[in-house]
Amino acid sequence: MRSILIIVSLASLVALILPSILFLAGRMDLDKAKWIMILATIIWFVTATGWMWKEPGKTQKDEVVVP
Amino acid sequence: MSEERQSQQTQAGDEFEREPVPKSALLGFKSFVGMYAGEHCAGTELMIGPLFVAAGVSAFDLVVGLIAGNVLAVLSWMFLCAPIATRARLTLYYQLEKICGRQLVTLYNLANGVMFCFLAGAMVTVSATALGVWFKFPMPELSDKYPNSIGWIIAVLACGAMISIVAAYGYQIVSKVANIAAPWMVLVFIAFGLVGLKQFIDATGTQVTSLGDVWTLAQTSIWKGGDPLPGQVKFTFWHVMFFAWFCNMAMHIGMSDLSVLRFAKKSWYAVASGTGMFLGHFLAWLAAAILYAFQMHAEPGNTKVLPGPLAYQAAGLTGLICVIIAGWTTANPTIYRAGLAFQAIVPRSSRFRVTLITGAIATVAAMFPALAMRLLDFVALYGLVLMPMGAVVFVDYWLIRKFGLKSSYAEVSGRAFNWAAGLAWGVTLVTAFLLVKYAGVQIFFVSLPGWFVAAVLYIILSKFYQKNIRPAAAL
Repeated sequence: MRSILIIVSLASLVALILPSILFLAGRMDLDKAKWIMILATIIWFVTATGWMWKEPGKTQKDEVVVP
Repeated sequence: MSEERQSQQTQAGDEFEREPVPKSALLGFKSFVGMYAGEHCAGTELMIGPLFVAAGVSAFDLVVGLIAGNVLAVLSWMFLCAPIATRARLTLYYQLEKICGRQLVTLYNLANGVMFCFLAGAMVTVSATALGVWFKFPMPELSDKYPNSIGWIIAVLACGAMISIVAAYGYQIVSKVANIAAPWMVLVFIAFGLVGLKQFIDATGTQVTSLGDVWTLAQTSIWKGGDPLPGQVKFTFWHVMFFAWFCNMAMHIGMSDLSVLRFAKKSWYAVASGTGMFLGHFLAWLAAAILYAFQMHAEPGNTKVLPGPLAYQAAGLTGLICVIIAGWTTANPTIYRAGLAFQAIVPRSSRFRVTLITGAIATVAAMFPALAMRLLDFVALYGLVLMPMGAVVFVDYWLIRKFGLKSSYAEVSGRAFNWAAGLAWGVTLVTAFLLVKYAGVQIFFVSLPGWFVAAVLYIILSKFYQKNIRPAAAL
């Protein structure tokens, strides 16, 4: 399940950036690009939350700097 | 100690707050790559990029200045901060306490807290601009100092209240959301740039067949140079380079990142800061700058620097969500950090209440557009204020024994306030203020000589101080 979530989430990141590349290349209009980007965003947050939520935190400077 | 604080300390590795980080707790290179990449893609990047355009920067000055400044910043992390961090393996706070004494560290915390508060205010401002797209209230102009509409005040209040309450209640959740949002946000920033570039190509009718054509477009249409907008300082190569180098001065030269890099197995891991510099402080700034330049191209009279509308125009709802999340996830830890800094001054106060009050101050500051619209100056000031203590740490660690003096003198002498360090800090800031106010030196350029002033002053003043204030055992 985790592997599937990782693959889908990574695919959503590709789907997020691809429309802007296609728009730059003149292969897609902006409205369509915006729709695909919002769809990719939703998929990213749903699937990435599934596998990233329980990951241990990275080095958090926010807490360690102060006493 | 509250349960929340305990769990945050565990997460942060705070158990090594007053001791060197042991070998078993050291982290690999990847941890730092992720942290720096996420940390430097913040909501404020969407303000800084456009402000470069408003400052009349040219394409060469911007691109080459950013590359040079970012490389210098990475080198500062690698050769000033990391070598001390990986040798002493102490937090900045503990290192400073040993050198300066508890009272002076408290003063440092106060300065830090105030700066964080205003920085968080700028981030709240960024988020509030996204609400303007939905609710259509009048938003601030580039030259505005005061809130210009009831709608704006309500939007800032709503954003500020939400961010402050979440910071007080559920910091860890925001931290997790920030981790999840980081890779997505970087790609949205890049998408902003690509969309903006295409809009420029279409609007100018430029034929682009090579990178050379893109560069020509950048020089002739995007970053044309010339006069800055009214009220803005003209930015040259040197302005851009020093700004990029010093915008995180508090972290590298100011040594705040001792607390982070003490976990690094090797000091060269600080090169990971390059991910943050070249994603956040290069790509994101350029992308945001392109969006603003296009707005100016399409509507020459519209000089408003409003990340919400800029992002919406380029990426629709995704852009708006990006603005809100970028502002929210970075304002939150900043308010939390400011709250902790203030709480250290009054340890008995409830952290919940202090964080709420801190958030309220940040929210009030956010209502005044002058803070966000003058963000370039404020960021330079932020680095400048904390920089002298970095010079003190550097000198105390590497040089002071060569002058026959003792390092960590507050600890050695048992004093709570090392006047040599305190005066070095204060006199450096006064000197910088006088240079800016009366000698016409711009704030972006005073930090470099300021570092040397602080270093030399600390050595000279320590000569007197250590001669007159003896360790208790030596009396």
